[in-house]
Amino acid sequence: MKQDCLDIGIIQAFLDGELDHVQTARVSGHIATCDACASMLAEAEDESAVVFPALEREFNTLVPTQRLWTRINDSIAVERENRPFWQKAWAFLSVGLMSPSMAAAAALIIVFGITALVMIDRQPAAVNTAKNVTPVVTSPVKPVVPTEVSTVTPKADPDSATIKTDEQPVRAERAVYSEPKRAVFKQPSDPTPTAAADTQNTYLPGEENYLRTIASLSQSVQNQKDATMRGSERISFERDLAVVNDAIDKMRVEVKKNPKNESAKQVLYASYQNKIDLLSSVSQKEELVASLR
Amino acid sequence: MRFTLRKFAIVSAAAAITIMMAHAASAQPDPRSKPAAPAPPVVVKGKTSALPKMVFFGGGDSERSIKVDPKINISLCVMQGNVKVNGWDRNEVRVFVSSGTTVGFRVQQKNQKTGDPVWIMVLPDSGEKNNFIPSGECVSGDEIEIDAPVNATLNLKGQEVSFVVDGIRRVGIKNAGGDISLRNISDGINATTYRGDLTVEQSSGAMNLENTSGNILAFDASPSEIGDIFRAKTTSGSISVQKIAHRQIEVNSISGTVAYNGDILNGGSYRFGTSNGSIKLWLPETSSCMLTASYGFGAFSSDIPYKLATENITPGPVKNIAATLGKGGDASLRLTTNNGSISIKKQQ
Repeated sequence: MKQDCLDIGIIQAFLDGELDHVQTARVSGHIATCDACASMLAEAEDESAVVFPALEREFNTLVPTQRLWTRINDSIAVERENRPFWQKAWAFLSVGLMSPSMAAAAALIIVFGITALVMIDRQPAAVNTAKNVTPVVTSPVKPVVPTEVSTVTPKADPDSATIKTDEQPVRAERAVYSEPKRAVFKQPSDPTPTAAADTQNTYLPGEENYLRTIASLSQSVQNQKDATMRGSERISFERDLAVVNDAIDKMRVEVKKNPKNESAKQVLYASYQNKIDLLSSVSQKEELVASLR
Repeated sequence: MRFTLRKFAIVSAAAAITIMMAHAASAQPDPRSKPAAPAPPVVVKGKTSALPKMVFFGGGDSERSIKVDPKINISLCVMQGNVKVNGWDRNEVRVFVSSGTTVGFRVQQKNQKTGDPVWIMVLPDSGEKNNFIPSGECVSGDEIEIDAPVNATLNLKGQEVSFVVDGIRRVGIKNAGGDISLRNISDGINATTYRGDLTVEQSSGAMNLENTSGNILAFDASPSEIGDIFRAKTTSGSISVQKIAHRQIEVNSISGTVAYNGDILNGGSYRFGTSNGSIKLWLPETSSCMLTASYGFGAFSSDIPYKLATENITPGPVKNIAATLGKGGDASLRLTTNNGSISIKKQQ
């Protein structure tokens, strides 16, 4: 056993999908090169294979953990803060009006307020009728005609130009410039960094299509997975995703090192396909459940 | 005049608001009064479930039957329950629901010659003629039993359902959660469950078995036509395939072991893969094929003699072996695992 071998606790956390992406990648990398840790992982997997089916019912009862409660409370707090003003006001009013005495008092205040408004309204109306009101003439705003373009210094600030006019002092206006849209491929928004990110514009044939598909699927899965999957399913999903990402990373590096390694290419494509299948399964399940509603 | 009208409108609005407020205040229950007794709970007999019980339309037992064409196509959506489908030699479909939805049939299409239905949907029935519940087309119940002609085709969808189908021609199932068990299906299976195990026995035809979280077991299957493919795929679970006579087999898992016990047929194409798990094959001693094995961390071993064509087992994420197993031949066997061992053993 090496001195830097992994703790069994870390291996168990890796199996349970509790590590973050960086740690998961680190553990995967270590296991790939360390026989002792790999055998520990295999033993832990065997134990899990025995224990998980026995405890499946307990896992599926979704007992809220402290972490879950914290997340729920945080979400509620954020939602409260983000609630629009009128909703807060309405919530306050609806609670207040539950009591009959409060409702009657509110009604009285409204009646009093309206009466006061009527009284106030009467006074200026009388004044208006007494006075000979002269119509207010508003002078039209003259259009600003640029007579002289004094300086346009794209070197100093390419986005701005100084325009001098007759009537107004010199002022700087921001020149509007929008870059023409280009068909630029966006890297997948998957939080797990893959080796594809560091190999820009060096895609294998067909790889770009895989990445594009994965990027779009990842985006939709990110929104759906909390609602679609139960706790145990979520753990399996995250673990499988880490496994596939690890395989992709390794194969990308291998292919970059040796572009003639056809086996690595095939495994890379297969791993991309696995990732697509994995992400698609979430969307497909969501579709199925939606169709049943 | 105009001002008077405006005043009148404002005063009217104030009066209306006052009346509404007073009405709202009087509508509030008196906090001192005794609360009304709650409605009696809906009691549904049968076994308990982890999910909250839904209030079924009907709630009791119901049975319906209809005369149909022998090659009937049956569509059914089930929210919850255990579904058992059995093939029989009558041109009739019978549906029995225990402690659940009252069901009925909607004929979607008829045989133009005989007038018998060739496509029916099993739906919740409100009891009134031609008046099915519009909001949902799914039924629920503790036990749902269906007897259908042996040449029937089933299209089933389920949310939390356990499906058992026996002796039907063709089956298509999509299940969000629950086991699927299929037996004696004569002409093809397309089954997906997103949580649960999937078992296929003594069946034939093209097969597409998918599972997200659970195992797949296929035993004693064969093609019904030349070119039928056997495909099994799970993301998190093991796949065990035995005695499969298809010439094209594709088995893939992401996290799980893949096991195959069967023959390598001439001209066949066999692909077994997993990202994180072992691949174990039990083959006849006389098996012959072209073998390609790729593996990362792990080892390759074979009890059946093979002749190496190329080998790359230098340390790295991909080790590769291309070999001729037995006498070679025109069958191809491709084995891929990123993290696990590959072993080929002789059948006992």
